[in-house]
Amino acid sequence: MESAISKSRDASSFSQQNLPSENIEAAPIYIPPKERFLEFRRQPSAQRASVLAFAGALMFLGLWEAGHYLTPASARKFFPSIGEVGSALYVLFAERNFLQDVSVSCWRIFISFMAASAIAVPIGILMGSFGNIRALFNPTLTAWRYLPAASFIPLLLVWFGPTDQAKIALLFIGVIFFLISLVLDNTTAIQKEFVEAGLTMGASRSTILTGIVVPAALPAIFDSMRNMIAVSWTYLVIAEIVGAQDGIGAVMMRAGRFLNVDVIMAGIVTIGALGLLTDLIFRGICRALFPWNVERRS
Amino acid sequence: MNIVAKDFTPVTTVPPLKASRISKEYLGGTFKALDDVSFELQENQITAFVGPSGCGKTTMLRIIAGLEYPTRGRLEVFGKNVQGPGPDRGMIFQAYTSFPWLTAMQNVEYGMKILKVPAAERRERTMNFLKLVHLEKFADTYPRSLSGGMKQRVALARTLAQNPAIILMDEPFGALDAQVRWEMQELMIELIEREKKTVVAITHDIEEAIYLADRIIFFSRQPGRIKADIPLTFKGGRRIKQKEELLEMPGYAELERQLFAMMREEIK
Ligand SMILES: Nc1ncnc2c1ncn2[C@@H]1O[C@H](COP(=O)(O)OP(=O)(O)OP(=O)(O)O)[C@@H](O)[C@H]1O
Ligand SMILES: [Mg+2]
Repeated sequence: MESAISKSRDASSFSQQNLPSENIEAAPIYIPPKERFLEFRRQPSAQRASVLAFAGALMFLGLWEAGHYLTPASARKFFPSIGEVGSALYVLFAERNFLQDVSVSCWRIFISFMAASAIAVPIGILMGSFGNIRALFNPTLTAWRYLPAASFIPLLLVWFGPTDQAKIALLFIGVIFFLISLVLDNTTAIQKEFVEAGLTMGASRSTILTGIVVPAALPAIFDSMRNMIAVSWTYLVIAEIVGAQDGIGAVMMRAGRFLNVDVIMAGIVTIGALGLLTDLIFRGICRALFPWNVERRS
Repeated sequence: MNIVAKDFTPVTTVPPLKASRISKEYLGGTFKALDDVSFELQENQITAFVGPSGCGKTTMLRIIAGLEYPTRGRLEVFGKNVQGPGPDRGMIFQAYTSFPWLTAMQNVEYGMKILKVPAAERRERTMNFLKLVHLEKFADTYPRSLSGGMKQRVALARTLAQNPAIILMDEPFGALDAQVRWEMQELMIELIEREKKTVVAITHDIEEAIYLADRIIFFSRQPGRIKADIPLTFKGGRRIKQKEELLEMPGYAELERQLFAMMREEIK
């Protein structure tokens, strides 16, 4: 050790200053500028992000609680506190078999969304890939998109009565046309050179479609689906408010008739929690299916 | 090595590509991007398309690739009339086209899968070509973790592995920074020399054209025509790998001066 250092010094005395040596002080520790809370586009660590998310939720709950106490005492029962909604939730699940309603609602969302996706995704991909197919369907589908799904309620009630089918059909109609146009956009947005590379490699049309267009568009399509399932929840409440015996929306509607605001708000909280859960599941699926994809931030 | 695409085994004296009287009109015939362009490519030659922006280089290359069709004219590959794209003409784009959902290795394999090359041979060729582009250590890496130059090397390997008769490149190094560009040029010379390919490469960069090409086709603008067809005789039929050596060769400076003068004439 000792000899190696002195040897190298002898060999090239002029480059001494570049040699690591114990005699020389360690390089100074770099002190970065103080980080402020508002740094442009700085992403927090996962740990910090969860703390912030928690703080954000607390802020919301604080506002809620403050709203409750700021409401005049005479009207307070129309703006229940967190505790009151919490106990309403407990009663719902423990005594009124609310879990049954929640699962019915989830089932309706699941079935209608699966059916809508099973049709919208292939059609959207075909429309995005082939101009003639797009020209064939797009004008009609655009017209459908402008029809409010709620306007189909009378028709669906006549056709199906107050059944499960009527509700599932409404959710289906509410989602499918928007989903088609989103998938269409996702498909046309893929880099055109991917398709051209496939063509110059001699790939057949079906190979290009299944081997290039689909994998290239799929991550964006999953994002679109994630956004559309939120819309699906919106229609769920509308569907269940209109002549339903079960489901979260029906429970809320019944509570409304008796001015049980705590139960209504318990329903809202439940839907919010389920929405968050759906979103997390979708993100998890995306991460598992597309490990090659750059993490999308939204 | 030549099992893929063996239909395209060259026949003597038939040029790998013959473009006859190609015209391309846009906007319902009101705009002529290419006007009566004819040329033949020589086998195992690198031809550079040079010319001012908008003179129709990309249009011509895409017509050769079969990604666009000429309004008039005829295109023959080894004497056979071609319509539409095919694996006899491989293309490397300026945009990165290595597929992000496939690893570097799967990308290189993909072209051969399309040509139904048997699995064992495919594996072997894939590893060979990954080695040739110095990416064997990144075989299992997805393109998002590769640099621009590496992505372009994946695309190059994928195209070469398909063994096309002609390789078309539209400013393949245009998106790369100077030093990577330079590395890629050297790599390309080496690979082309080894694989014996007929190449057409578009470039804006006169120095790059002189370095890479055995022949420069200079296009003029509006309508796009061939302004000059310049064989790079000063290289004495060799490919010079070392740029320093090229710069010292008699004739280099004169050619570069000429090309700049032609470019200036066109821009005016
Ligand atoms: N689809 C199109 N419709 C109308 N005009 C087009 C189309 N494609 C190309 N052109 C026109 O044809 C001309 C030639 O275009 P091209 O892209 O071939 O030029 P280029 O030589 O490759 O230019 P650059 O060096 O800038 O890439 C341009 O004037 C361009 O505007
Ligand atoms: Mg161009």
